[in-house]
Amino acid sequence: MLSILVCIKQVPDTQKALFDPKTGVIDRNSADNIMNPDDLHAIEMALAVKDGYGAVITALTMGPSQAADVLGEAYALGVDRGALISDPRFAGSDSLVTSKILSRAIEKLGPFDIVMTGCEAIDGNTGHVGFQLSEFLHMPLLTQIHKFHVSSGQVIIERLYGHEYQKIRVDLPVLITVGKTANRVRTPRLADIRTCTDREITVLTMEDIGGDACEYGAAGSPTVVIETELFSHKRERELFTGTIDEKVDNLIHKLKKQNILRY
Amino acid sequence: MNFSLSKSQLMIQKSIRKFASETLEEWANYLDRESKPLPPEIVREMGRLNIWGIQAPAEFGGADLDTVSYCLVIEEISRVSAAVGLGVTVHNSVCLAPLLKFGTRDQIARYAPDLASGRKIGGFTVTEPQAGSDAASIQTTAVADGDHYILNGQKAFVTNGGVGDLFIVAASVDRKKKTRGIALFLVEKSMEGFEVGKIEDMMGMRGNMVSELFFNNVRVPKENVLGRVEDGFRISMQTLDIGRIGIAAQALGIGTAAYAAAATYAMERKQFDRPIGTFQAISFMLADMKTNLDAARLLIYRAADLKDRGLPFSTESAMCKVYASSTAMQVCMQALQIFGGYGYVKDLPVERFFRDAKITEIYEGTSEVMKIIIGNDIIKEFSRF
Repeated sequence: MLSILVCIKQVPDTQKALFDPKTGVIDRNSADNIMNPDDLHAIEMALAVKDGYGAVITALTMGPSQAADVLGEAYALGVDRGALISDPRFAGSDSLVTSKILSRAIEKLGPFDIVMTGCEAIDGNTGHVGFQLSEFLHMPLLTQIHKFHVSSGQVIIERLYGHEYQKIRVDLPVLITVGKTANRVRTPRLADIRTCTDREITVLTMEDIGGDACEYGAAGSPTVVIETELFSHKRERELFTGTIDEKVDNLIHKLKKQNILRY
Repeated sequence: MNFSLSKSQLMIQKSIRKFASETLEEWANYLDRESKPLPPEIVREMGRLNIWGIQAPAEFGGADLDTVSYCLVIEEISRVSAAVGLGVTVHNSVCLAPLLKFGTRDQIARYAPDLASGRKIGGFTVTEPQAGSDAASIQTTAVADGDHYILNGQKAFVTNGGVGDLFIVAASVDRKKKTRGIALFLVEKSMEGFEVGKIEDMMGMRGNMVSELFFNNVRVPKENVLGRVEDGFRISMQTLDIGRIGIAAQALGIGTAAYAAAATYAMERKQFDRPIGTFQAISFMLADMKTNLDAARLLIYRAADLKDRGLPFSTESAMCKVYASSTAMQVCMQALQIFGGYGYVKDLPVERFFRDAKITEIYEGTSEVMKIIIGNDIIKEFSRF
């Protein structure tokens, strides 16, 4: 049976969150925490593999104790095991150190045939973790996966690459990243939601994954955020009047003028 | 006292809200305009999600949820399609619930798994053309004949009538005994002599196939009597106490949808160079809507909580139903007023909310009957004689 690990992250719902206009930093109390949307699609991909070929799925997350909420959600969706990496010494880690921590936890919990991540998280939008994890774990990486077939120790993967649609055969183990367009995430059964918060969660600290405190957290992170700036889209609404023909002509004229429509 | 939902209740609310907006929303207007039931593939998906067996034990394929969670599911579905919410709440609370509570082991084994999974849809019927609030005056008869009862008569306004597979039917075995002569029967649509009459062409809830049912010498095995023969009326009244909480949650869902639409619109719509929601006339309306919906919500959750704790909840159930349904009606009326002309046309769902809301003051016991229940309780409490 295949063994799959999916990395998931709890993030503030950035569609609803407020930002400090001076520092550009998210006010984490202004919105609910949710599971990172791409990660839900990674879980759905893992569940589809489980439905089709049989698999044991482990969900792994990192953060303070409330990050366990996303593991509850993962359990409700059909994940078999949940693990939380939680240690104050990891606070402030950049994406590189986060990937290092995740990779050490994966080695501790593994081995795994397939490691999955979302393409990027909506709070930082770096999209680094999948790439960095593949380096740390020495696993081949395939990004933007749409479909996944397993046959005799190998997987056939379909992915979007620019304007191409690629079909790739690759040996296991493999690390893949999954984006929003890959699938439609299933709704969990009510019975599974009822029981999901009671399921056991493995908690890992620095002692479990090894290493030294100076490797982790802000101290171990080479990335320094110098400045965060907010930018905004301003939308303007304009109502066209007249007959349908006049309205359409008016709209085409306007779009051409702004170089949106060129012909 | 804790006014917060639990983690799993919040997840249920979020999950069903997402399901309703992603799957049911695109059907809601169609079901209403065409007066059509949900397509079978969505009924099946709702079965997978345990929506047809919200409180049924896991061994029968249900989700075994508490009643507050049950209300959250009904509210979220009804925010998008009250007609779908109606089908779900009636199936769960007045067919599956009494079967599980009063049914024999054999009856439960025969019917509960199919009902809890949505493979079969259930209904419950007391009402007849001449017997509404006066439920004891039903004319449908059940005459013992060997191992069977023979049912004859007609039922009216049966929710899920056109799509149901199993109905709990009230019939009189002895008219002289009045309420003590009323028994409940588990009647399958496949039984000979069972006939679905006309599907009602209704003002609202048009996505539910509310219909007449006819019983022409329907032979129902005696093993299909639900509870003791003489307890039919008592079981019906207890069943409706439970059902009313679901209808209140449905009314809350309709009202909440109308309120959310009106508040959004009020902040977008500009007249006299400012959003109409910033005028006191409109913001006071919105304030009333929000306050009354919250009050209804708390009444509903309290009744649900009392039920879960095994305490009497009949009066509280009537209170939440009468308040939530009148609030839904009032809120929809105010929402329509805020939308002005746009609320009166079928391009927007506000007029549908308005039409759907009205029936919540009528079915599962009219508002007047609810006040009789509450009033009788007050008389009992304060009577010195």
